[in-house]
Amino acid sequence: MALIVAEDLAKSYGRVVAVDSLSLSLDEGSVTGLIGPNGAGKTTTIKMILGLLKPDKGVVKVFGQDPWDNPAIRSMIGVVYEKAFFPAHQKTLEYLQRVCRVFGVSESRAMEVLELVNLQEASAREIRALSAGMLQKFAIAHALVHSPKLVVADEMTANLDPQARSELLDLVLQLHKDEKATFLLSSHILPELSRVCDSVAIMNRGKVWAFGKLSELYEKYAVGIIRVSTDSPYELEAEIKKLNYVKEVNSDIRGISVTVVEGKEDELYEDVLKLAKRINAKILGIETGSASMQELYRLAIRQAISGKEKK
Amino acid sequence: MGKGKPFLEVLASAIHEDYRFPFLEVFAFLYALGTFVFASFGVSITTQSATSQSMATANEIIAYGAVSSILSIPLFIFIILVFKNIAYGLGSDLEKGIIQTYFSYPLRRRGILTAKLLSALGVALLLFLGIQISALYILAPDIILPQLGTVLLTYAANLSYPFLIAGIMLLLTLKLRRGGIGLVVGIVLYFAMSMASGIATVFAIFTKTPLSLQILSAISPSIILQQYYVGSLGDFWAPAFSELLLYTGVSYVIVAFVFVLGYTYFSRRLNL
Repeated sequence: MALIVAEDLAKSYGRVVAVDSLSLSLDEGSVTGLIGPNGAGKTTTIKMILGLLKPDKGVVKVFGQDPWDNPAIRSMIGVVYEKAFFPAHQKTLEYLQRVCRVFGVSESRAMEVLELVNLQEASAREIRALSAGMLQKFAIAHALVHSPKLVVADEMTANLDPQARSELLDLVLQLHKDEKATFLLSSHILPELSRVCDSVAIMNRGKVWAFGKLSELYEKYAVGIIRVSTDSPYELEAEIKKLNYVKEVNSDIRGISVTVVEGKEDELYEDVLKLAKRINAKILGIETGSASMQELYRLAIRQAISGKEKK
Repeated sequence: MGKGKPFLEVLASAIHEDYRFPFLEVFAFLYALGTFVFASFGVSITTQSATSQSMATANEIIAYGAVSSILSIPLFIFIILVFKNIAYGLGSDLEKGIIQTYFSYPLRRRGILTAKLLSALGVALLLFLGIQISALYILAPDIILPQLGTVLLTYAANLSYPFLIAGIMLLLTLKLRRGGIGLVVGIVLYFAMSMASGIATVFAIFTKTPLSLQILSAISPSIILQQYYVGSLGDFWAPAFSELLLYTGVSYVIVAFVFVLGYTYFSRRLNL
């Protein structure tokens, strides 16, 4: 069953087109990532889904209903914003108890969710006294008070240090497992979403360029990618670039990512070994069909653009 | 689940923020100080200055004078408190995203705005009227109780313009999603009315026609109220009681219109 259905959504701010002809469908029980760079239209899309923004065009349905000013569906959604804001002078536990009363759940749930995000020791602190990481965890606790069926989180890790980011993602996985919640997560930090998402919608310039299960997208877009781990990535990259069936080579400190013409993977495997021997580079591993989320993103956007140009 | 609980919780949260220590204590003190310190002045001044133009009875004039005398400073304090609550409270809630957080609660948008306005305006008004009526009852029960109509009308006429400014501030704050400009406009409008009423009075005296004062009375009926009870603006205008009621009513229709605009914008158009 689709919890969120967006059809042909469009939203502009003056002359700036934030979202253009966006269609999306989110299945129950999934963890879906909305990925894209800053300005891709992720936040605008989420705001339209949450009923905070009215689309200029198109229809959005959440639990089969229009989300604009709709209290009924808000009882089923937990929201985490990029920058979480709450009444600053109230204490964390007291405020969550208030939220429990708002949603008609037992006040004991307030402490439960604080414990869930490991904030029980800050229960007597005023919200304004929380650090950025704690505030974001508090926002997650706030979103989970009423055990929502759907959790929508917009760039929830954007302002956090790597450790806090990792902890929050672990928490998402745990909640997905324990509370059986459906998640829609937006982020421009792609590697972290690959840890938690089973589906992704790849956004750029207000459009969804690719959408589907992560495994299907890898199958579709990551064909012909070979990852070579070596101790001399930059020297080997220069040699690999000379091969005529190689479409693209990118290297970083850990290795090289090579895209070849489909069917040439085995040939590259042999050539890489020869080239490495010639320049005295040590090969640590060669892996076919593997791509990072960034590569997937790049390939999907590129294919979509070239497909459009061909048309 | 009933609709009452989320509304009451948002209201309680708004009151908690708007009247946290020391705001409630300071403003309650200032209200009380303004009310009781200035209570002794004005009654005799107002009654003595009542001219033969006044259409009101002596007791009504005394009641009007008593209320007017204790009203001026606390009304100014009330306006400051309401300005603070709308510009700093609602404005910063919109700017920072707390309203966005409230929008995740199972409550309609109009309910959220009502809760915020009840805290910003309603509680401030309760505090103001509570101390004022108590002071009047304590200081002059024999004058006040028989003239309750005059007392209420005096408050209604004097509060209408501050409500109008609050409504305009609300519209600006909602449109701009921050309170600073709304606050500046509110202060300018408040002082502009004093200047406008001075200019209108001079104009009316020279032209011997009350038109300019009548126009201003439609948004600030305290002008016609003063003329009805004291008649100090001149003998060219002797408004009847029905006229006073009409102008007061019109001013509240304008106030209501501005607030309805605010509600409509908040409920149907406000994109966050």
